[in-house]
Amino acid sequence: MTIDHAPAPAGAGLSPEDLAELQLRHRKIRDAMAEQGLDVVLAYGPAWRRENIRYFTDVTPAGSAALVVFPAEGDAVAFSTRPSDLAAFTAQGWVGEARRLDPANPAELGVVLKELAPRRIGIAHHELVPLVLMETIRAAAPGAEVGSATKLLDTARLVKSEWELARMRRSAVVCAAGWEAFVDVLEPGLPEYRIVAEVEARLKNLGAEDNFMLIASGRDEVRGMTPPGDRLLEAGDMVRTELTPKMDGYWLQICRSAVVGKADDGQRKSFDLFNEAVEAGISVVRPGITAHEVAVAENDVFRKYGYGEYCSSNYTRVRGHGHGLHLDETPIIEGNHTVLPENSVFIIHPNTYTPLAGYHVLGDPVRVTADGCEVLITTERKLFETGDVA
Amino acid sequence: MKRGLHVLDPAETSDQEWGDRVAALQKAMAAQGVDVAFVYADVSRSDDLAYLTNLCLYWNEGVLAIPAEGPVTFLTKLSLRVQNWMKASSKVTEFSGGKNFADLVAKYLLGKKNGTIGLVDAALWPADVADEIVAAVPGWQVKRLGSLVREQRLIPSAAETELLRAAGRILDDAAAKATVEGSTAGSRVETVERALRGGGFLDLYPSSLSTSDGVTSFGVTGQYRMNWVYSSRVLGDGASWPAAIKDALTAAIAAAKAGARIGSLAEAAAPALAKLPGGAKAEVRWVNQADLSTSGEFRAQDPAAVLADGEAGAVSVEVAFADGGNAAVAETVRVTEGEPEHLTGAQR
Repeated sequence: MTIDHAPAPAGAGLSPEDLAELQLRHRKIRDAMAEQGLDVVLAYGPAWRRENIRYFTDVTPAGSAALVVFPAEGDAVAFSTRPSDLAAFTAQGWVGEARRLDPANPAELGVVLKELAPRRIGIAHHELVPLVLMETIRAAAPGAEVGSATKLLDTARLVKSEWELARMRRSAVVCAAGWEAFVDVLEPGLPEYRIVAEVEARLKNLGAEDNFMLIASGRDEVRGMTPPGDRLLEAGDMVRTELTPKMDGYWLQICRSAVVGKADDGQRKSFDLFNEAVEAGISVVRPGITAHEVAVAENDVFRKYGYGEYCSSNYTRVRGHGHGLHLDETPIIEGNHTVLPENSVFIIHPNTYTPLAGYHVLGDPVRVTADGCEVLITTERKLFETGDVA
Repeated sequence: MKRGLHVLDPAETSDQEWGDRVAALQKAMAAQGVDVAFVYADVSRSDDLAYLTNLCLYWNEGVLAIPAEGPVTFLTKLSLRVQNWMKASSKVTEFSGGKNFADLVAKYLLGKKNGTIGLVDAALWPADVADEIVAAVPGWQVKRLGSLVREQRLIPSAAETELLRAAGRILDDAAAKATVEGSTAGSRVETVERALRGGGFLDLYPSSLSTSDGVTSFGVTGQYRMNWVYSSRVLGDGASWPAAIKDALTAAIAAAKAGARIGSLAEAAAPALAKLPGGAKAEVRWVNQADLSTSGEFRAQDPAAVLADGEAGAVSVEVAFADGGNAAVAETVRVTEGEPEHLTGAQR
């Protein structure tokens, strides 16, 4: 089935704020395209990596795969495998035209590319484009140089506008509500998966479009986090979660741990260690800091107390990561020298295993400000115990 | 996203059945002259991997290596601590970790006599990964294979059928609760999240469609263990056209019998769909449950294909109105020689 929509110019009917955001994005991408000599950026998005589709269209498609063809001049064309997405694309108004992407016969993509006749194509998420589409792209643009534009889009998305930050602040409010739902439901005998069911229900009622959530329960035998199982909570368990709702396209994460009942000495010592590491990470954030430097600040706390090996590759090395239209952007890890500019957003979470109390999860998302950082969530940073109210 | 219950229960799927699934693939590989087959999976498309191993790929990508004989090996970029959980919750005993699949495949094949490797569902592999693997294993012939694993999944086993029945019951109850009169967009999703994830579903995709005359369709596609069910319902009876698409769905489901062509479902629905407003475009679809994770979007529907006894899937009627509105009704059924068995919908 093909739905015919008369192409309308991108931006027609948008509010002034939305139009300004659209124009800002187009300018950023076109400046980068000019620098790299690209005639077309093609953003590909399988169902688990739709951030660039959202960046160009302000729509998260429901289809299993989507594409945006963004030429150096003229309007973008969006594609989706799902017909109902096409109306959503054009209704939102960020692209002028939407077409069906049929993986078995992607002829319409070929038509659009042939008309553009590009000499150089950059593909965002080039590394994920399936063979069937890559062969279509190459056939439609014979002789064109085809390379990756993943970094180009990642860089463009790194600095958040005020328009984006307003959305991320809404995610922050929902983060807090999700954590409250998490703590509220904890009791001995409850299976892990029922915790997730309750949290998802609360988040979705508040309008969350999605939620990335990992969980683990138990004591010092816990080495990492996963989707939930049927393990039943016991008194004295520490229950950990990374909880990451998505509102209006933007993900934001909160990391906390709670004890079913009262915490023991090991769990308290573990919290103190992780809290000091979070504080250390926050204390160094300023414009121009690198991901490496934030990670070092966190890891130095572990090293100071003799727990440095738990920040190594045998355990968990990542000390946080960027946030935005993707939940896991720039990794905060020693060796990553990416500069974190003003208005970039990332979570500081030194989550790892230690023998003190097993895997511990604690972290806050922050925005880099002109002279430091702003913690984006209001949830108290403490070791929660059953009965606490966030 | 896969945020619900993940279990490995021998009472639901026996060790014998797990072994039979891999053995059947190895037999198909032999028929195509393949010495080692590779199955690619990512977060959004991992059902073949799960079918062979019970692995739950909740993050990132993975490649399963299946030799002509012997145990499978999971090639992963995930760390050891995640591998430990995967080992405990799946049938996989062999893991290999590293930074990229080309190196992992080269390491896996090291010491093996050169032969033919096969990429299962090759057209859907990331082109970069496929190219890198080819470059990393000189001396090996690389063969693009079709959907060998999916083909095994098209007709569920007795154990899978029981799981589908359980899934259908849970989904049906949840959908009925979520679509009561007075429900809101938020309450509908809240209800199905609590009921389905709380009932043991692993994955869940609620969806809402709307039309310019104010009619909402609410659908849920969900995964219970490794099997999928789908139901979509039009809320309210205020407009005339909802009755037409409901009638069309009823007629299409009635036509879903063993031996029937998929095209006959649309033919059965056509009289009811003739009552739709001018300019509306309707599509009647059959999506085998093995393809529901992607709503069948990676498979072109062949009207000449014939439904098999025991096959389970969703019958849907999807309508796009000329003004951009959309609606969909769907239920999941199991095909038999006689009346189809309703897994969702008629259980109300």
